[in-house]
Amino acid sequence: MLKLAENVAQTAITDRIDELSTRLILDGVATLNSVDFEHLCSSAAELGHPRVAAVARRIADSLKLAPNLPVPDLTRIVSSGLVEVRNLLDDPAEPSVPLSSSSYAQPSDKFRLEASRNDTLAADEELIREFITEAAEHLVAIESQMLILEKDNSATETLNAIFRGFHTIKGLASFLEFAEIQSVTHEVENLLDLARTCRLSVSPSLVDVVLESTDIVRHELAAITDKLAGKTPQPTWVNRALLDRIRRATHGTATEVKPLPAPILFLPADAPLSTPVPLLGPTPCDDQVPGTGEDAPAERRLQERRVGDSSSVRIDTVKLDKLMDMVGEMVIAQTLIQHSSILKSARDTTLQRNLSQLARISADVQRITTGMRMVPIGLQFQKTARVVRDLARRADKQIVFESSGEETELDKSIAEQLSDPLLHMVRNSIDHGIESSEERIALGKNPTARIRVSAYHQSGQIVVAITDDGRGLGRAKILAKARQNGLVAPGVQLADNEIFMLIFEAGFSTAEKVTDISGRGVGMDVVRRHVQKLRGRIEIESKAGQGTTFYIKLPLTLAIIEGLVVMVGQQRYIVPLFSVSEMFRPTQDMLSTVRGKAEMALVRGRLLPIVRLHRRFRIEPRTDNLTEGTLIVAESEGRSFCLFVDELIGKQEVVIKSLGRRFKDLAEVAGCAILGDGRVGLILDIDGIYRGRI
Amino acid sequence: MQATQLPQASPTMPLDFSKRAGKYLIFRLGVEEFGTEVLKVREIMGLQDITAIPQVPPHVKGVINLRGKVIPVIDLRLKFGMESEEYTPRTCIIVMRTHEDNEELLIGMIVDGVVEVLNLTASDIEDTPDFGPGVVTPYLTGMAKIKDSVKILLDIDQVLSSNDFGVLPTLIQ
Repeated sequence: MLKLAENVAQTAITDRIDELSTRLILDGVATLNSVDFEHLCSSAAELGHPRVAAVARRIADSLKLAPNLPVPDLTRIVSSGLVEVRNLLDDPAEPSVPLSSSSYAQPSDKFRLEASRNDTLAADEELIREFITEAAEHLVAIESQMLILEKDNSATETLNAIFRGFHTIKGLASFLEFAEIQSVTHEVENLLDLARTCRLSVSPSLVDVVLESTDIVRHELAAITDKLAGKTPQPTWVNRALLDRIRRATHGTATEVKPLPAPILFLPADAPLSTPVPLLGPTPCDDQVPGTGEDAPAERRLQERRVGDSSSVRIDTVKLDKLMDMVGEMVIAQTLIQHSSILKSARDTTLQRNLSQLARISADVQRITTGMRMVPIGLQFQKTARVVRDLARRADKQIVFESSGEETELDKSIAEQLSDPLLHMVRNSIDHGIESSEERIALGKNPTARIRVSAYHQSGQIVVAITDDGRGLGRAKILAKARQNGLVAPGVQLADNEIFMLIFEAGFSTAEKVTDISGRGVGMDVVRRHVQKLRGRIEIESKAGQGTTFYIKLPLTLAIIEGLVVMVGQQRYIVPLFSVSEMFRPTQDMLSTVRGKAEMALVRGRLLPIVRLHRRFRIEPRTDNLTEGTLIVAESEGRSFCLFVDELIGKQEVVIKSLGRRFKDLAEVAGCAILGDGRVGLILDIDGIYRGRI
Repeated sequence: MQATQLPQASPTMPLDFSKRAGKYLIFRLGVEEFGTEVLKVREIMGLQDITAIPQVPPHVKGVINLRGKVIPVIDLRLKFGMESEEYTPRTCIIVMRTHEDNEELLIGMIVDGVVEVLNLTASDIEDTPDFGPGVVTPYLTGMAKIKDSVKILLDIDQVLSSNDFGVLPTLIQ
């Protein structure tokens, strides 16, 4: 128990020093106060670090006694003092009175494996959850900033932002005693510090190390989440070898890329510092004297952004979902009132005015609530950018990633579920679509390939397009493969689009890997499943030699759909409009029967199977005669079929409701909605109906 | 006696019979009168349009809109294996609160008519008679004899448990 307390205090000192160093570098010596160092002095003394305390006291004194010293001189005094303190703390020989063994001397170095992961979660769960969210946000920001930095390694403000991100995570982690995260971030911070002080150039390998460490921290966060949920967390990835590797990046590449400057002694002759200044440590390089130069406006911008953040509130999504539900019910209730025949016949103008006012307000409330769940898609694109970069490096292909429409907003849950499909599609483009540089040169193409991800609105839907300029889909090869697998019966003629859709077949992918046609198969069934779950559709455009574009078309929100209300017998059903391409009343000459059983309709030159809804649902139709009813041409997984219903009632926007867990196994029904007259209508699952056809 | 026709179900936890006393809503199915705890009744409503659900057992009549909530409705006659009968103006839907995995679920049950609310004391209630080996009656908590008539008391959570709401194939096997 005592050990733990000391440990915390020790960490507090290290953190304090880190914080002071950061402030010194970012904000300038003018922001530092002698009081800061007096605090440091007293806590170091308490912990039994007399030498640390002495150095801290000296810095405090020089700040107090010589406030009029020129800024660079003062900076040097403080900076070298901090370096000294850091080294004293790192040095196991430093006599630390209460800590007889050196095992807790530097929490980030001396690994607290035994202290970690046991009592840590006893701390306030809320705090930890907040930490996880915040750290995750920082990691996302760090990743995207790293990519910017890789392109333009002179972006000092970006580098500083990354540094701050890691620093915040480290601070929080040490406060909550997550030793693994703390030690990783500490090492990365050292690495970034060298880069920041121009002693290490931002090389791709450095970016690799930093990006990898974000993955590690993320893994640790997942482990903490697991632990909070009472699950057995995955074993940590953090070990000494890993930390050494990060450290090697610090030392190894530092000398390779840019020789270390000769030992600089920042000691003014009259300064009251006597101990020699060691070589390594955070020392700002000359062209980056803190608080001056072009850094300042960028810093101000950043602060402005932070101010903007403070006007937003974090809300539990459960509450938001509940609000959505309630608003949905409110709108339904309002519609019922509006359609009430008693109120319609009322002649009171005030009542009529109030009613229409209510209708307007309800519509506004619904619009705003739906908007609350909307997030920009940019975050997903950032993740994709990271994947492209990693995979391109691994596959040794030169690829430029472009994105547009980051500000396009879509439902939070849709955005989250979009990241997997995006990942798989980009992976496929890189693995199979994009040729190697040599091949591209031979083909007369730009050796650097492009992958472009864009998002935009189109006729009430959101379209996410993924374009590459690779070799395109091999139509003939896909068809041959599909015939071989029995996915396409011999002699059947398919349109280009239908052939391309074959790559989403589950069985297709694995076989695909063996024969390397223009590829695309691995994980594509995952993509299709995800997109279907989101009630979206995929379309493919591909030209041999020029590249491929995948279009993922998604509904704006999962809560409302446009539906076609149809009637079968006494029941009304809602067909989602996105899967309907046309509807008509057939004439006898369009209809044919195969072997007296399977009914087909000839629609625009294509022979489509007919599914009778009344037979599927075993209900009594108004008419059994196809020419007296209506055929709806619906599309399921790239294939069209005709759905036979009695008649069409109209088009309506409906709020989707779940039928509840009791009916969750129904394949043909996607949910239900309350129609204008207050009755419940079932929303049909077109894919489920087509799959279950007899 | 019709109770012997109750479908068999797996035996469950023994019921706490000491808590049987209390207010009961008495309703009618054919000639039998049944009772269910008033505390579990959310509301009683007249028959309304029910949206049929495909591929479910016959006693699951479909879903209704209860002020914006979509809730399932079952026909208790069919559920108990009785003959189905034309609905009359007295036919009504009793909306019950049931609990499943700590979640409150509302379910409507169609009955021939509501009779009364009775305050039953522990001495009014007798244990369910033994219907012989092989007849398990998990739905029943006991029988109440009041004014020469017998009311069959139901454990409504057992009656409305979700295990037979599934689609037909799972029910048939």
